[in-house]
Amino acid sequence: MSEHQLRVDWPACKGHGLCAELLPEVISLDEWGYPIVHEPVKGEVLAMARRAVKACPTLALRLTLPA
Amino acid sequence: MTAVATACPPAVRQGGGPVPVVSEGPALLAGIAQGPGLAAHLNRLGPAPRPSLGALVDMARDVDLRGRGGAGFPFATKLSAAARRRAVVVVNASEGEPGSHKDAALISCAPHVVLDGAAAVARALRTQEVHIVVSSEHPSLRRVVEKALRERVTAGECLDLRLHDAAPRFVAGQAQAVLQLLAGRENLPVTAWQPEAVSGHRGRPTLLSNAETFAQIGHLVRVGSAGYAAHGTAGEPGTTLVTLRGDGWAPEVREVAHGTPLADLLDEAETSRPLLLGGYHGTWLRPAQLRGMTVSRSAIAAAGATLGAGVMLPLAQGRCPLVRTAELVEYLAGQSARRCGPCLNGLPAMAEAVRALVHGEGSVRRVEELCGLVVRRGACAHPDGTARLVASMMQRFPAEVQAHSVGTCRRGREVSG
Ligand code: SF4
Ligand code: SF4
Repeated sequence: MSEHQLRVDWPACKGHGLCAELLPEVISLDEWGYPIVHEPVKGEVLAMARRAVKACPTLALRLTLPA
Repeated sequence: MTAVATACPPAVRQGGGPVPVVSEGPALLAGIAQGPGLAAHLNRLGPAPRPSLGALVDMARDVDLRGRGGAGFPFATKLSAAARRRAVVVVNASEGEPGSHKDAALISCAPHVVLDGAAAVARALRTQEVHIVVSSEHPSLRRVVEKALRERVTAGECLDLRLHDAAPRFVAGQAQAVLQLLAGRENLPVTAWQPEAVSGHRGRPTLLSNAETFAQIGHLVRVGSAGYAAHGTAGEPGTTLVTLRGDGWAPEVREVAHGTPLADLLDEAETSRPLLLGGYHGTWLRPAQLRGMTVSRSAIAAAGATLGAGVMLPLAQGRCPLVRTAELVEYLAGQSARRCGPCLNGLPAMAEAVRALVHGEGSVRRVEELCGLVVRRGACAHPDGTARLVASMMQRFPAEVQAHSVGTCRRGREVSG
């Protein structure tokens, strides 16, 4: 099973924090409300990560495969 | 050795400090006393060969040519990656780092060495499109480049050469920011999902490199790998450009062979004080680490630093490296493009935390926490570079940091050893 990276488009991210609510397994928020991605996404978390990507109001999240 | 090239007044930054002295060098900066014109250039060197892609990749690999913008990426790898249909060549001379003047010096004193390299790369990539990016802080530099381009067109150069002005901002020269500028958008970094060699200017494969890298190519195609290795060491052939005291007193640009002792560049007083190596995003070194040090990637890496874009900033006499770092972090915080949350919030917080630490009101833990919070969390490496500077202060001057944090630092005591 391949590991995806959850990457943040920082200029686009407005710190809404929705992603941390939808994906607390992988994302927490820093003291200013911006996401901290803790680990690569794999297994059953992947589907939830896809939901978080879709839900981000500014489309600032992307799942990428390591090159 | 320090023959000042009077025929070459280097470009001056608008409102900038003292004009850097540019000395004649062994390879790229050879013959600069004859001026920057094409006729003198061709008289001295003849026309530059334009090898095939394969030959150029081989040569760059033979001499282990690295990018000279700071990251030191192997040029042969980059060139191979960009070698696809509709490639674009970008010469980046925007040099946003206040301590660096080497690209401005190079392009004002030896523009045709840079352009020979750009032409060779364009030919190898089978493209005509070459963009040249200079800083708008240097109006005189733009005029030199315009003149050089006119000379080449008159001489029958069939390249499509386009000149751009980068904003006078620290991060304006970052690769993605340059691509934005070329595309007619604001000259600020954006998130890169792919390397620019794969998808760069308008999605096309783009070979974007620092001006000195192109000049190295311009020299390499003339002299070949063996000739290139006439300077430098067996492991690191060739020369490199350095800027000494670029943001302070008596700034100087020198071209030196790899392996040159640091003691040939800085005087004894300077090497007996801390040195900030690699610019404002660089690393502090203690005087003891400078003893016997040479200008070489491996020697500098062994000391836990990198040469970066060749910026060497010795600490001014009587100054405290912690106070200096606090000033630099404040400057860097002000240079944030203010678009990425962790950089926009984290760098001012870090400036405040370092200032507080230096004044005996802060904590080491808070500074370390903030370093961790900004790294790899921005569209460009500005937060990472700032964190690197701060981390090197904590690492190189632990006793001083301790003394400051408990407020017992005796003002004016200098770091030695
Ligand atoms: S949901 Fe989107 S905008 Fe909000 S914090 Fe997460 S990435 Fe940023
Ligand atoms: S000990 Fe004194 S001179 Fe040294 S860093 Fe601290 S304040 Fe500056």
